[in-house]
Amino acid sequence: MQFLYSGLTSGSIYGLVALGFNIIYNTTGLINFAQGEFVMLGGMLIYSLFCVFEVPFYTALPLTLLGCFIIGVLYERVFINLARYKTEINLVTLTIAASIIMRDVAMHIWGRDSLRVDDYIPVVNVQMPGGVISSQSILIIAVSMLVAWGLNMFLKKSKYGKAMRACFDDQTAAETCGINVRSVRIMSFAVSSAMAGIAGVIISPITFVTYDDGIMIGLKGFAAAILGGLGNFWAAVAGGLLLGIFESFSASVIPSGYKDAMAFFVILLILFFKPDGLFGRKKATRV
Amino acid sequence: MLEVKSLSVSYGAVQALSNVSVHVAPGEFVSLIGSNGAGKTTLLNSIMNIIGKSKGAVTFDGKEVTKMRTPNIVTKGMAIVPEGRRIFSNMTVRENLEMGGFKRPAAEVKTKLQQMFELFPVLEERQTQTAGMLSGGEQQMLAIGRALMTSPKLLLMDEPSMGLAPLVIKEVYEKLKVLAAGGLTILLVEQNATMALKYAQRGYVLENGRIILQGRASELLGDNEVKRAYLGKEYKEKWER
Repeated sequence: MQFLYSGLTSGSIYGLVALGFNIIYNTTGLINFAQGEFVMLGGMLIYSLFCVFEVPFYTALPLTLLGCFIIGVLYERVFINLARYKTEINLVTLTIAASIIMRDVAMHIWGRDSLRVDDYIPVVNVQMPGGVISSQSILIIAVSMLVAWGLNMFLKKSKYGKAMRACFDDQTAAETCGINVRSVRIMSFAVSSAMAGIAGVIISPITFVTYDDGIMIGLKGFAAAILGGLGNFWAAVAGGLLLGIFESFSASVIPSGYKDAMAFFVILLILFFKPDGLFGRKKATRV
Repeated sequence: MLEVKSLSVSYGAVQALSNVSVHVAPGEFVSLIGSNGAGKTTLLNSIMNIIGKSKGAVTFDGKEVTKMRTPNIVTKGMAIVPEGRRIFSNMTVRENLEMGGFKRPAAEVKTKLQQMFELFPVLEERQTQTAGMLSGGEQQMLAIGRALMTSPKLLLMDEPSMGLAPLVIKEVYEKLKVLAAGGLTILLVEQNATMALKYAQRGYVLENGRIILQGRASELLGDNEVKRAYLGKEYKEKWER
């Protein structure tokens, strides 16, 4: 059971990152490989504000999210918007370049060491059937579910959420409805960056934060998105949870050094046998 | 209402349109016919700035819109039903219509939706269905409905008959007739010359990116040149009889 709890905790984070991949994929058809770097950024910003400058947590949190939001906008403006030929392969390459740049800049600002983010909620271990779960883990799971639910409502019910889905279906047609596709694209980058920021804030007290955290978290979030099936939000969350649980149980069977490899093993299996993802839905088309 | 002055468009080295001038007066129903590859879709798409122009000017409602971005042209009151309909196939019928009203105040969207449902009762029946599952004719109705949701003064129609059965084509044109009678200005491009000219007041004939003929729709329908080029089969039948 203990494995299940720790799997759920890390799985929630993968799910959040997978959601970020999904937002950008849904509106632009791109895989944003700098997604993990925004998680790192969220952790770093909360570290700087909360632990170094000692800003109260409830001020530091919105500032951190705002920071991620703004950097997300700048990122879209600089890397994606300025690209002369906006083919998918060019843009995806740019996101990889951006991730390397962000990592290097973070290394220069925050150094190479793991930084400890102080606890901001009282740490208690809750006794659960078959194991214990820390209050921070519960927070992580709850926040992830809340964000996934909120995002789903946003896309289903709100005008701008619907516009995002319209852009995913057909950008030209969206423009002929008067929807400004450029602003929708900026918004999707900003929202997914802020979400990655949330992920960074909630995991940092457990995992600490290091400049190169983004690589692993980003790739595992990507694996979760592939596992669930790109283009579907609940599938992303489910993919994240499954991956987390799978990873944590595998650590009990095989040497834990191979734990990280499991995510990629999962990607391979999915790409071989079920390329649409476990819960992926083919686009509704009528021929 | 719409004035296109010596518009040229090229794709790389290929000149798709050269010096095309077209005008549409308020309240008019104008059809532009031409065979496959004549440049009909290119004309509409470049008017809407979905693709760029190499030369020429477009004025709409007395204002120049040559370089205006597509969403802004739409807000000015020009809407397009694109070739191949291009509905949002993963969204519901109702959501598709709502997207058409994206730039419109909520109250207006509400009344407009009711109007659309009156005009196209089938859309009301299917409002919660995924748009991709509709039949071709229903999708065309939805595409028209979505364009009308933007409250246009001028509607550009790109090949409404494409891929539809003759009876359904007739139904679509009857709807357009109702809309035209209600005061909507329409510029329609079509391969199906008979249908397009029958319902229009005025017509143009586009061939290889140039306007070769223009005039009253009824005159064009009777024109031998048009018959030769676009009504081939029927003309042959008449001639052999």
